[in-house]
Amino acid sequence: MKSHMKKQSFITRITNPKYIMVYATIGIFFVIYGFGAFLYGDKGFTTIRTFVNLFIDNAYFGISAVGMTMVLITGGIDLSVGAVASLTGMFIAYGTSVLNLHPLVCIFAALVMGVGLGLLMGCVIHYLNVPPFITTLTGMFFARGVCSLISRESIDIKHPFIDSLASWKIYLMKYSEGSWVKIKPIAFINFNVILFIIMIIIGTYILQKTRFGRNIYAIGGNEQSASLMGLPVGRTKVLVYGFNGLCSVLAGISYALYVKSGWNLSLQGGELEVITCAVIGGTLLTGGVGYMIGTLFGVLLKSVIPALITFNGNLLSWWGKIATGLLLLLFICIQRFVVTSSSKRK
Amino acid sequence: MSEKNILEMQKISISFPGVKALDKVNFSLREGEIHSLLGENGAGKSTLIKCLTGVNQKDEGKILLDGNEIQPSGPHEAMELGISTVFQEVNLCPNLSVAENIFVGRQPMKRGGIDWKEINSRAYELMSRFHLDIDVTRPLSYYSTAIQQMTSIARAVDVKAKILILDEPTSSLDENEVQLLFDVMRDLKAQGMGIIFITHFLDQIYAVSDRMTILRNGHLVGTFDINELTKFELVTKMVGKDMDVIFNLQRAKVFKDADYMLKAEHIGDISHINDISINLKKGELIGFAGLLGSGRTETAEMLFGATRAVKGDIFIDGQKTQIRNPFDAINADIAFCPEDRKRDGIIGDLSIRENIMLAVQSRKGFMKPMTKAEQTELADKYIKLLKIATPDCEKKAGELSGGNQQKVILARWMADNPKVLILDEPTRGIDIGAKAEIQRLMLEMCTEGVSVIFISSELDEIIRCSNRIVIMRDREKVAEIDGENCTQQDILKIIAEGAA
Amino acid sequence: MAKKNFVLSGLMQSKVTWAVIAELLILMVCFMIRPDFFSISYQPSTGMLYGSLIDIINRSAEITIISMGMTLVIALGGTDLSVGALVAVAGAIALKFLRWDVLTYTTPGDYTVCPYILVLTIPLIVCALMGLFNGFLVAKGGIQPIIATLILMVCGRGVAQILTDGKQFTTGYSPFRIIGQGSFLYLPMPIIITIVVVIAVALFTRKTAFGAFVESVGVNPSASRLSGIKADKIILIVFLITGLLSGIAGLIYSSRIMSNDSNNAGLNFEMDAILAVVIGGTNMSGGKFSLAGTVVGSLIIRTIVTFVYYFGIVAEATMAFKALIIAVVIILQSEPVRKYFAKRSRVREAVLISGGER
Repeated sequence: MKSHMKKQSFITRITNPKYIMVYATIGIFFVIYGFGAFLYGDKGFTTIRTFVNLFIDNAYFGISAVGMTMVLITGGIDLSVGAVASLTGMFIAYGTSVLNLHPLVCIFAALVMGVGLGLLMGCVIHYLNVPPFITTLTGMFFARGVCSLISRESIDIKHPFIDSLASWKIYLMKYSEGSWVKIKPIAFINFNVILFIIMIIIGTYILQKTRFGRNIYAIGGNEQSASLMGLPVGRTKVLVYGFNGLCSVLAGISYALYVKSGWNLSLQGGELEVITCAVIGGTLLTGGVGYMIGTLFGVLLKSVIPALITFNGNLLSWWGKIATGLLLLLFICIQRFVVTSSSKRK
Repeated sequence: MSEKNILEMQKISISFPGVKALDKVNFSLREGEIHSLLGENGAGKSTLIKCLTGVNQKDEGKILLDGNEIQPSGPHEAMELGISTVFQEVNLCPNLSVAENIFVGRQPMKRGGIDWKEINSRAYELMSRFHLDIDVTRPLSYYSTAIQQMTSIARAVDVKAKILILDEPTSSLDENEVQLLFDVMRDLKAQGMGIIFITHFLDQIYAVSDRMTILRNGHLVGTFDINELTKFELVTKMVGKDMDVIFNLQRAKVFKDADYMLKAEHIGDISHINDISINLKKGELIGFAGLLGSGRTETAEMLFGATRAVKGDIFIDGQKTQIRNPFDAINADIAFCPEDRKRDGIIGDLSIRENIMLAVQSRKGFMKPMTKAEQTELADKYIKLLKIATPDCEKKAGELSGGNQQKVILARWMADNPKVLILDEPTRGIDIGAKAEIQRLMLEMCTEGVSVIFISSELDEIIRCSNRIVIMRDREKVAEIDGENCTQQDILKIIAEGAA
Repeated sequence: MAKKNFVLSGLMQSKVTWAVIAELLILMVCFMIRPDFFSISYQPSTGMLYGSLIDIINRSAEITIISMGMTLVIALGGTDLSVGALVAVAGAIALKFLRWDVLTYTTPGDYTVCPYILVLTIPLIVCALMGLFNGFLVAKGGIQPIIATLILMVCGRGVAQILTDGKQFTTGYSPFRIIGQGSFLYLPMPIIITIVVVIAVALFTRKTAFGAFVESVGVNPSASRLSGIKADKIILIVFLITGLLSGIAGLIYSSRIMSNDSNNAGLNFEMDAILAVVIGGTNMSGGKFSLAGTVVGSLIIRTIVTFVYYFGIVAEATMAFKALIIAVVIILQSEPVRKYFAKRSRVREAVLISGGER
């Protein structure tokens, strides 16, 4: 009996309907990437540098998407991430430039603020039963407002610590003629990319290997059942929003390193871009389904489009928005199809 | 079965605002026993269970588990004490795999992470103990309700439960699945587990139970050995009144030369039903018998346009009629009370008034509204006629009991003056008193000239009410027999063997 | 007496009551800070009434109009995220028709290139069609409204930008100015338009059975369908109405600034509209809705902004205060808190009754 099951397990694991969305995301990413390679291969679209730049230019979205994916899997939503990230940038900019604080102090303050706000929103959502949409929308207004209270002008971040962190990079090398040389065109990985990758790994570990992570899925599948099965629903939900607050702050730090300034209106609408990344990565907004690897490719997929438009050079950047919208439509239709066909009873 | 009590509940009392839900009820469960808990809706069965699992707190009394007093504060704590519950509706997560549903919250860990291999192989072993050879890594939603129910039980069993509570586990299972469940129950019993079994099906009680406890209106009627009471005595004790009302229903009288009200010729849909024909005379009641999944519901849904018939013709009152959706069906004077009352019938947040006026209004279209006074008049008329227990027609329909909800849905269709009424399991999950009431109403409508199609899993009520019985098997109509001169055995034989 | 108590506890449990109380409280505080707050004066030069109250209602016009549609969408159990983008689209189309080709008509002035009737109708038709597109995805595609409308929210502004080649047009056409800045019966035009829209939606939903059908579908779509309600049709109509109303709001907005602003027109309108509906007491999970509550909700949001101005706080920072006040209102409205209050008032009643008997 047991051996019979083992034999099956590899094929059944691969064909398990729950992975279809992830395959779709990865597949479509490579189709679009291949399309770009076909059109602009001669202009350098296929170089490692272009590929690595996808990470560098979108790391902050990716970091935030890690937390967002978890929130979405519980069946919730968090609209405050863009504002919290923006507020983090403002903390760092105002703290270092005006108050002359060390950036680490500012970052610590931002962490307390972000995680605290997340936990608070989680409590309101769970214990007071206020819809997540409304709760986090209020959180977004609050964070955005505090941002503007601090400053309405964009503040440059000039601090040796931040400068060194932002300019720290590892060049990608290759071995040729007996020595290591930088690959051409020069490509490098910076702090943001490493943070992004680490967060994806942590996210994957939490979701796949911890009870906390599996509780997140259970809650998204059926909250009432989860609580009847004796799972700590309240604690899990509150912690998920707290963790998402942490991710927003990290995204804010990453964004501050990327643009080296703080501005009260930065990352406006960022929350929806992050949600879009998660959705085209195969996360269901109804909750219960989503994978970190899908989210990773969702971020890449969403960022390869502006890259394509840049390479084209003639198109208005607005087409990027429209293309993203169409992509979203495509994915929603696939999801719809997958959900209806996989829920058919045996 | 040993004589040792593993659970004793002594003099349990619980009151809710205005009601005494339980009044000094005693209950005991022995090791290795299947103990049925019986009573009509509102008798206090679920309150007693909720008290045991810590959902409701008792006002008075003691719960002793293995001789020690316990006070569980919720289902989770009860589970840790060894009391597991499987509810009527599957309370698991559809998105998680079968294996994970069994182990979520208490997954075995290895090297700082969840040990998936262990989970899957242990789950596979558990399920094969139930004679199920399935891929446990697939999501639960991929499998049938029966397998979901088994998964639920597997979870309960694997937490090393001493006591297993099964709250109406069989209501959505077919005959084979029920037998499978019973086998599992007997297995568990042999291992010394105490099982509390709640069901509305009397036959099932006699099939598996050792003892039964009967509750009525929050009071204990008594605990009996299974051989002590006949079915009739049992029902009498549950209802507490003379059962003649139920057993003396008058079958509808159909005139031989009555016109055909509904004729469906060779209809079929895309996936389920291939070819079926039904004739229904004016004022006649046809019963649909067959197992779950035999195509009874699918046929009814097709006649009502809930699923679209892609072939065949339907004639209403001699007129060929196109029925593409429920709206068309309503215009053709067909009414349909669906099987799943909660999902497809009642609109919980709306008032009784709005629920009742819905069908009439949707036939008119929203541009020709009824005034509120008209609606209230309509609703009040049916509340009185059907004896719906409510202070007024503005009460939310979702707050009514199951039987009263069913009456509201019935009222919705009666108000629309249908010529054909299709009732899919109208008496499921409601108490015997309300059951009798609904059967009476159904037959009354027949005498007023309405033709009725009556679908039920309970053969005795089909035999009691029907003029003719259509027997379905494997999505086909296998026989049509006279309702007046047939026995349960006749029908069961046809269901089992396929031919008349 | 018993009846009165019953009504009172009913009111205590109603969400709309809390919204009205909140609005009155904020107004009272405004009045204490600025005693001339309630004064309304007549300005003969423009033929309009002036005053803070008038201003609040005037400035809340766009949100109130959109939130009428949003109320219906939420009653269906959905949300429409695309309304802000549609506001931008409507403005872009209107200005495109007013100026058409900036190279030929280089300076803005009191003229329109295309017939004025097209300037008014085409944006509305396009917005209604976009609403219909949302409705189609939801009704026929079976897609969750929040995701379906996310599509147009993401690419709607892109469409607006492409329609106007990413440029910002301005106009001086006076009939167009009337929509956002004109007056009628001494009142600013947006107020008149709002009143007309609110009454029209109220009549359409409550004087026909449409409202009941929307609620029914919102509570239980499957049961509604089996009761003969054409749920698809209801959903399509609701999204169409919401699209159309967004278009009207877009025209008002662009007439106020006499320009199109595809980046900022209608920014966060979807959020404000949803808030207005929720503050007004309609449950986000669908079902019973209250248009009157929504109007109050929209007024609360605008009053808060005005209120914060009085403290001399910068415009962008009003959001923080808005958040705080909204948080209070929403927490007061939340289920556990309302139940707590309802229980307390019941206990008090019980004490009163037993006291009376003695």
